[in-house]
Amino acid sequence: MKLAQLGSRDFLKAVRPFVGLFVVLLLFAVDAELRSLFFKGGNFKTILTQTVIVAIGAMGMTLVIVSGGIDLSAGSLVALCSVVTAKLIEHGHGFAAVLALTVLVGGLAGLANGGIITAFRMMPFIVTLGMMGIARGLSKWLANNQTVNPDEPLESVNRLMDNSQSPLTFFPLPDGVWLALGLAVLMTVVLRSTVFGRYVFAIGSNEDTARLCGIRVNANKIAIYALAGAFFGLAGVMQFSRLTQGDPSVAIGLELQIIAAVVIGGASLSGGAGSIPGSVIGAFMMACLANGSGIKDWPNYMQEIIIGVVIIVAVGMDKVEPMLQRFFRRGK
Amino acid sequence: MKSLLLGAACVALVFVFGCGSQPGDSSGGGLSIVVIPKGTTHEFWKSIHAGAKKAEQELSAAGQPVKIIWKGPLKEDDRDEQIKVVENFIAREVDGMVLAPLDDKALIRPVETAANADIPVVIIDSGLQSEKYASFVATDNYLGGRMGGAHLGKLLGGNGNVLLLRYAVGSASTTKRENGFLDELKENFPGIKVLSSDQYAGATRDLAYTASQNLLSRYGNEVNGVFCPNESVSVSMTKALRDIGKAGGEVKVIGFDTSVQSLRDLESGDVQGLVVQNPVKMGYLGVMTLVDHLDGKPVAKRIDTGVVLVTRENMTEPDMQALLNPPLEKYLGTGN
Repeated sequence: MKLAQLGSRDFLKAVRPFVGLFVVLLLFAVDAELRSLFFKGGNFKTILTQTVIVAIGAMGMTLVIVSGGIDLSAGSLVALCSVVTAKLIEHGHGFAAVLALTVLVGGLAGLANGGIITAFRMMPFIVTLGMMGIARGLSKWLANNQTVNPDEPLESVNRLMDNSQSPLTFFPLPDGVWLALGLAVLMTVVLRSTVFGRYVFAIGSNEDTARLCGIRVNANKIAIYALAGAFFGLAGVMQFSRLTQGDPSVAIGLELQIIAAVVIGGASLSGGAGSIPGSVIGAFMMACLANGSGIKDWPNYMQEIIIGVVIIVAVGMDKVEPMLQRFFRRGK
Repeated sequence: MKSLLLGAACVALVFVFGCGSQPGDSSGGGLSIVVIPKGTTHEFWKSIHAGAKKAEQELSAAGQPVKIIWKGPLKEDDRDEQIKVVENFIAREVDGMVLAPLDDKALIRPVETAANADIPVVIIDSGLQSEKYASFVATDNYLGGRMGGAHLGKLLGGNGNVLLLRYAVGSASTTKRENGFLDELKENFPGIKVLSSDQYAGATRDLAYTASQNLLSRYGNEVNGVFCPNESVSVSMTKALRDIGKAGGEVKVIGFDTSVQSLRDLESGDVQGLVVQNPVKMGYLGVMTLVDHLDGKPVAKRIDTGVVLVTRENMTEPDMQALLNPPLEKYLGTGN
């Protein structure tokens, strides 16, 4: 098993998410009304800011999905961590402490996910489905069933996702966007070039083979889920910053958006394939679609249908292409 | 090969969806105004939409072309989604915005963002803890709550046990109604005991139904009257009362807002009174006030759109009928 080659399929596959994004942008450029409305610096800043939460979640989810698992607790953990952030600010903690402790809470929840999955050899789908309910319940309990509004807001946290000062120009971008971009670069390196990253692909490609090769599968899996939880924790901080309040009912169904972004980005739900840049582009593409169809004055049901179709088309390419290739080969 | 296929598929998509949307209908020089409700499926919001359309038609007839864009959050009652809609239309640089904020704090920053982009915002229906809006056009919800409380107090003859099932946390308009109701009882009907006033129904009828059942299974035997602060709670609470055989006047129900079902309940006598707002007027005045502001005319910071109490006796009067059955088709067409 050659670790270095795992996951690095052909070039075309790697650039597919970018092509998809390009096509979406092209479509918007073709439409006369959208062209003038969509392609503006301020609009792209808005879209980037709206992408941050899904993109950060997608980085964690990419690890999990590449390793052959799934994490359905992402949305609930984001809500839980947004409440935790609010509570920590209420207790007067500073920026670093709020960030670190919230990420820690997310990481611990992920650790619990990974621990239960490996210790009892349970399906990740079931365990994280349970955690989805637990985290949602915990966040409502912690927030006393209402939104948590710290009396003395912590500016540094609120500013993370704040683009209110210059809404119509591309720069300056909010801190959260830069943070997400930095993390994307870091995680790309981690997943492609570190031993841990290669193990993630190995486990996802064939768990038994990976075990026979001497990889400590269980320990690595626990690390993967814990790390993913930490990303969901960070996404929770961002969610708080967007609402400037902790909201236990926020991010319902966010896990599905995150999974869609990862899958559009080229990951396979059966594991062993996927990339961080792909997932981030997937998240950005979905935000573009939502923004474009939103400002184009389409009714909401149309927007939901379009995004649904795009997910199926983007992922369906995977299956259609080999079929067509076979068909053409037979024809010759 | 691959990119070609994806491209072909997406081009096909454009033709499917793009052609339906008549390119070139983008407003020719007129004002474009976005109206952002809390949701799009409640009948209340459809009436607001009708009012906004009415304003659009009148302004256009008066030589002031206006294009109304109606856009609710994709997921109803999701603060983050509503913030996205506001942000998207700021980036689109519309001329003005009429907004019914889902939360009186979470929407502060988006509204201030609009102010920084020189896009005036008129707040309708529900308050916002900020001053950076042009005008606040809404029902006096506190007064509506007091009206409901007074009617319930009268029906009960000044004594008995009542329940208040609150709507949702952070919703300013319903909280004011609830406070008005409780204040009215406390000041003018000291003989009435409030059994419970700390339960929240939640955003949908389904959640409200469950919450009503839970509340009634605890207090069902001692309750004489119920106040419901909005349409979904009114309908669900009445349904739950019917389930336990206490509807039809045994337990007096005062609701808020109207829908097909709650009017049916009023007619059949399961509901004794509905405090009714004027959403058509709210949508209409929201747009009119914004256009006045854009024209540089001074506008009042607070505009009241009025409430009335509808009972089985007065519901057939023409004034009430205009309020209860607004001519939605006239403005929205049959498609809505």
